[in-house]
Amino acid sequence: MLFILAWRNIWRNKKRSLIVIAAITAGLSCGLFASAVMYGMYDSLINTTIDRELGHIQIHSPKFEDEKIITDTIPDFQSVVSNIKNISEVSGISSRVIIEAMCSSPTSSRGVKITGIIPDEEKKVTSIHNQIIEGNYFESNIPSQIVIGKKLADNLDVKLKSKIVLSFQDFDGNIVYAAFRVSGIFKTESSIYDQSVVFINQRELFELLNQSAFSHEIVLRLKSFQQVDSVFAKLSKSYPLLSVKDWKLLSPEIKIYYDILDIQLYFFMGIILFALLFGITNTMLMSVIERIREIGILIALGMKRSRIFVMIILETIALSLVGGIAGLIFGAIIIAIVSSTGINLSAFTEGLSQFSISTVLYPVLPLTFYPILTLMIILSAIIAAIYPAIKAIKLKPATAIRTY
Amino acid sequence: MKLIELYSVTKIYDETIVPVKAVDNVDLQIDKGEFTAIVGPSGSGKTTLLNLISGLDQPTSGKIVVDGTDISTYNEDELINFRLHHIGFVFQAYNLIPVFTAKENVEFIMLLQNISKSEREKRAIDFLDAVGLKDRINNFPTELSGGQQQRVAVARALASTPSFVLADEPTANLDSVSAESLLDLMEKLNKEHNMTFIFSTHDEKVIRRAHRVIQLRDGKIEKDVLMN
Repeated sequence: MLFILAWRNIWRNKKRSLIVIAAITAGLSCGLFASAVMYGMYDSLINTTIDRELGHIQIHSPKFEDEKIITDTIPDFQSVVSNIKNISEVSGISSRVIIEAMCSSPTSSRGVKITGIIPDEEKKVTSIHNQIIEGNYFESNIPSQIVIGKKLADNLDVKLKSKIVLSFQDFDGNIVYAAFRVSGIFKTESSIYDQSVVFINQRELFELLNQSAFSHEIVLRLKSFQQVDSVFAKLSKSYPLLSVKDWKLLSPEIKIYYDILDIQLYFFMGIILFALLFGITNTMLMSVIERIREIGILIALGMKRSRIFVMIILETIALSLVGGIAGLIFGAIIIAIVSSTGINLSAFTEGLSQFSISTVLYPVLPLTFYPILTLMIILSAIIAAIYPAIKAIKLKPATAIRTY
Repeated sequence: MKLIELYSVTKIYDETIVPVKAVDNVDLQIDKGEFTAIVGPSGSGKTTLLNLISGLDQPTSGKIVVDGTDISTYNEDELINFRLHHIGFVFQAYNLIPVFTAKENVEFIMLLQNISKSEREKRAIDFLDAVGLKDRINNFPTELSGGQQQRVAVARALASTPSFVLADEPTANLDSVSAESLLDLMEKLNKEHNMTFIFSTHDEKVIRRAHRVIQLRDGKIEKDVLMN
């Protein structure tokens, strides 16, 4: 009955209640949308980094990670690769050769990381083949092909079919020079990546180095993002002598973003609720002041002050939850609509590429956000109700019942 | 049988610059089953006396005993509990809860007494039937006339099975027909159920029907007359 009383009381002054409900709805839905945009941005950062380069899990020789020395290869990598191929969750696996090198054109030189790949395998793991803007991704059988980033091409002042020379150390420490012809130019979301990574067919590297097949890096792509933790645990156990890392370990800065993002967004929503709290307090205070006589009557009849307190708290929670739930629903609808089309941020391409963020943003918000936010709304309502509720229980019934 | 006993009760309001002695050394006894009107001009102390008897206020000095219990030493929580179980209030401006129907208004007081839902519903309907409003149980106060609202207030007062009903100017907002009809009802309840009614009033209609009229002036009992 106390719930019924609280619920009906909030509709006594419909206009006033609707105004505060509208304020809560607008504040929360806008806050939710802004949170979803931020989340989408980080999601894009994580996804593009995984798609472009990291994959979900990587395996290295432990020493290779520290110094990137060419001789620190993965022992018996072929058996590792064939074993991993049998894991059902794995959708793609690529064995890479990684060599630090100098890349020179007739006009300029730049330090680069050569990634020696088997193109068909690499396609199953990363998305560079989809980001070719000129030429192609190892589609012909012509020897000495190299695929480079747009930024590197600009820096070296080279075009498609231009010749560039790579110089790097072989296993014995001797410098190897090799000429390649640009067969493809890619452009990713990260300008840093585009100026520092080149791809060549690893078969040609083995020939240049006069070595049989070897690998520095095995990259895995899984069927689902949610399988990363379990497969990572499995591989860590299977290969204790190798360095097995998931994307979070490979890119700790993204993991930090990922970890603090939730806290940031809850803090952000907390600020919005804090601002709304004053509006709710004001409304409830007006409601209490208007009902001084009525509350006095309730106390006179024998309603305990603790019950009066609970009644005001319940009214405030009911009022806030109506606005809150409307805000959550409205916010979720806006997010759903915008995420189906995406937000085109191509006007800011230059700035966003510094942060590896896609130019089309898809706002997204984890479902866990909604129940936690509902609890935050209830908590805010309780805080907002305290002052009006104290005001109500301090009324003296003898004078309150004669207040007109 | 003595229901209400006041011994040398004084109430002084000292929040003002000049302290006001609203009730001045009053001795008074009211028996069970009385139909008593407390009358007097404005400022005579009627309201203060009623507040003291009903436990809405505490005396500055003296002793108030209701149903054998000294309430003048009760704290706030004890007074709330005392009012809930011993006093039925009927106010001048009806003072029903506007968002509750007639039945819910009557039920609410029993909810505060922690009476079960089924018992509450049954008793609420019975009391509304007793005040002649069985067909209006689901109406909200705004859908009832002043007289009907005051009848709901009487039903609410009786629903808590009080020791006595305290009615503060119950007919002040009613037309004469509704007022007479309400008084008929109260008289009937007094006669049939020996329910004690104490009125604070200016209304001649109430005074005419009272069995005892206590007249106050300047916080003292000026006259205490038993009527025929």
